[in-house]
Amino acid sequence: MNFKKVGVVYRKELLEVLRDKRTLFTTLILPIILYPLLIIGFNSVMSRQNAVLEEQGATVALVDSVNTEVSLMMAKECAQIEHYNLVPYSASTPTLYENKDIQAIVTIRDSLGSDGLAAYKIYIQYDKSKDRSQKVYRKLSDAFKKSEKKLQSNQLQLSGINSEFLDLVSVRERDTSTAQKKMGMLLGMFLPYIMIMMLVAGASTVASDLVAGEKERKTLETLLVSSIGRQEIVFGKYLTIITLAMVNVVINLFSISFSLRFMMANMGADMGSAQLPVKAIFILIMAMIPLATFFAALLLSISTFSRNMKEARTYEQPIMMVAMMMGMVSFLPAVEMNNLMALIPVVNIALLFKAVMINEYTLAQLFITIGSTILLDVAAIWITIKLFTTESILFRADDDGSSLKAVAKDKRNFFNPFFGIVYFTIALVALYYLGGYFQAKDLMSGLLKTQVYVILIPVLGVLGALKLKGKDILRLKMPKLKELVLIPFIAIPAAIIVSIISQLTNLVFPFPPAYLKLLGKLFTMDSNLWKVFLVMAVTPGICEELLFRGFMMRFFEKNGAKMAVIISALLFAAFHLDPFRFLPVFLLGLLLGYLTVRSGSIINSMLSHTINNGLALFLVTYGSTNWLKPLVSGEDSLQYWLIAPAILIFSGAIYLFHKFTNKGEN
Amino acid sequence: MIKVQNLTKDFPKKDGTVFHAVDNISFEAGDAEIVCLLGVNGAGKTTTMRILSTVFQPSSGTAEIQGWDIAKDAQKVRENLGFLSGDTGLYNRLRGREFITYFGRLYGIEDTLIDQRIKDMADLLDMHEFLDKKIEFLSTGMKQKVSIVRSIIHDPPVMIFDEPTAGLDILTARNIVAFIRQCKERGKCVLFSTHIMREAERLADRIVMIHKGLILANGSLDELRAISGQTDLDDIFVYYVNQFTDETEVLAHEF
Repeated sequence: MNFKKVGVVYRKELLEVLRDKRTLFTTLILPIILYPLLIIGFNSVMSRQNAVLEEQGATVALVDSVNTEVSLMMAKECAQIEHYNLVPYSASTPTLYENKDIQAIVTIRDSLGSDGLAAYKIYIQYDKSKDRSQKVYRKLSDAFKKSEKKLQSNQLQLSGINSEFLDLVSVRERDTSTAQKKMGMLLGMFLPYIMIMMLVAGASTVASDLVAGEKERKTLETLLVSSIGRQEIVFGKYLTIITLAMVNVVINLFSISFSLRFMMANMGADMGSAQLPVKAIFILIMAMIPLATFFAALLLSISTFSRNMKEARTYEQPIMMVAMMMGMVSFLPAVEMNNLMALIPVVNIALLFKAVMINEYTLAQLFITIGSTILLDVAAIWITIKLFTTESILFRADDDGSSLKAVAKDKRNFFNPFFGIVYFTIALVALYYLGGYFQAKDLMSGLLKTQVYVILIPVLGVLGALKLKGKDILRLKMPKLKELVLIPFIAIPAAIIVSIISQLTNLVFPFPPAYLKLLGKLFTMDSNLWKVFLVMAVTPGICEELLFRGFMMRFFEKNGAKMAVIISALLFAAFHLDPFRFLPVFLLGLLLGYLTVRSGSIINSMLSHTINNGLALFLVTYGSTNWLKPLVSGEDSLQYWLIAPAILIFSGAIYLFHKFTNKGEN
Repeated sequence: MIKVQNLTKDFPKKDGTVFHAVDNISFEAGDAEIVCLLGVNGAGKTTTMRILSTVFQPSSGTAEIQGWDIAKDAQKVRENLGFLSGDTGLYNRLRGREFITYFGRLYGIEDTLIDQRIKDMADLLDMHEFLDKKIEFLSTGMKQKVSIVRSIIHDPPVMIFDEPTAGLDILTARNIVAFIRQCKERGKCVLFSTHIMREAERLADRIVMIHKGLILANGSLDELRAISGQTDLDDIFVYYVNQFTDETEVLAHEF
């Protein structure tokens, strides 16, 4: 490779990026002004607002139904609050209160206490949804507390007791953490998330421009006919993305820490000693480099694959979403850095960040994190170069159907990766919001509604709208009897293998307790077992299969059935919105995809999916009964030895299935 | 010079069959010669040229540019080749001079030599006025001139022009035609494609007619006139296409 030429490409790309106002704004200017504006601006607006509220004061109506010396004293105390105006309750008071001319109505009543002592009851009527009224309430109740103190000490004096008896116990805190560590904890919580987001955002604006943009502006061919090699082009562009991503990261890091220091100092924390230590900054930046290289390679391959910027942007969306979700682990209190966590991309950087900020990390973690990321990085860059030398990808025809026009011309054009990703993203958002909404009301019917309204009906709706034959597209065809007979022998061992894999991952990455509690709630609903089976096993078996194996897989079939199975399995796993179950669900998705494609019938995968879910349900319900004892360890975990017979039966059954279906679609 | 031997390029079609964009073609173009690849849209002209510029790999057959094999010595081929087409766009955010310099450097040429060549070409094409303006603000004609300089910055012995005048106004198109003539005068081997008969008539020393990926005729205008018995190139072209269609129809009847 000619590094001089790589350098030529690199310098030219940087120059172009710097001349693009949009990129310049998002990668350089935005971070510089965003945080100070957000944090400092917010702070000053807050304190100004406070001052305004303070000066506004309040008008308070008073109903003194006691009218004693004491109640008068209390009223006087209230009237003494600065800018406060006390008026007696009158016929017009309710209207004034309604019109917000009066902020609170105070009623003083008395009752006789147990020892014949007069006790006062104060009622403060106010609108808690208003900042101003809340403030009034606080000030009024403080005034009454003050009066109470006075009364108490008067009483004690009358009885000849020292009023200091009222303050026998007082609590004082002594904080051993330094301002440094406090800031570290705060930064460690959300800095990784912000940094990862900014890194991806910064990299993606440039990446989509670099290859997809060149395709769009027809400059790619100009470049390809010059004497530079394609590897050199890839590396030059790759370095550009990394540089911009890192510039973005560094600017963000400084902008955030500066603004935060300002904010914490404003809140009265002693920030004299609190600074991001140079070493921590250095480590953080070093740790971001492999991540930047990884995303650069990933986004560059997307950009290379896409025909135009619009398409590249669409494909970038899911990557951003997944990266954001993975970056969020820094918010989870239970998850901490260890050597195994250091192997998971993105998550490892987020956790390393957190550990570095409070200065609790090991060198091994640092090296594993960086090393594993670099490995992925090499894979991604290799793919990019591969894509860059595949002419069918570099020169993908303009009209392969990813426009509504092409769909209008031939409805089958609808099934292309572009629309697949769009549909999936919409479904994911619908699942998140609608599903959450349904399930918040009632879990059981909510799950059912989610399956039917979010997953099933849209698929049928789209097919109906396009007037496509659902039966053929979704592969709704009765399989051969011998296939159906084999399914339990495939599904049950598969479920066992997958659960054991899931148990093993649990050993390595313990599920957070809150998560387990939620999952437990799902399985131990106090409904009729058959109902639970219907909602948790049969419905998903039908609806999710129709969506993923029937519908989604069709979008990705152009690149071969294998690709379609893999992509649909990935989407299937992502759809469960659960990083802890990603791997098991993905493996299951591969199996279900295979069953459908191989046999040409979705019924096979429906049955398999239902059996799988049913088995999980069964295990939770009967796991602790005696006759299952030999198979189960703990409450609902399977014995590890089960994996051996499971693999054996699974392989045998799959072999037979493969043989029976050799005249299938694949 | 250019040597094309039994070149074939297949593209897979949606229905699983193969589309022969270029079907076993052979032709040559010598130094100081202008050869025109003449054919209607979709005849296989662009595909042929993309293969010659090493952007595409041939499915079978070979070709040589200045003695370098397009598959084995792709880099050498590109170093000896200047390429200009409607699909070779410009970087709008760069200035004309930066754009040309960028490509000069990609060819590994020293900056001083690049500057010298830019100056020479700018004198010739009257470009000094806009050479340091951003390309996005240039007119089509100005852009075309920048492209011309870009394509010849490494002074290659072989020039390929793919539909160089498509979409250009008369004055700009004249610039291109003049430039192509100059290339020949400088002893370069020129291959250009067009579907405009007049252009072929005016420029070409030899015409290679291509239709549906196949070569129908290869010869000078006079030779083609003699064979077909027609004088106008339009008529000559139609004559050959008809002959081809008859043949295929006969073939279709035979089977």
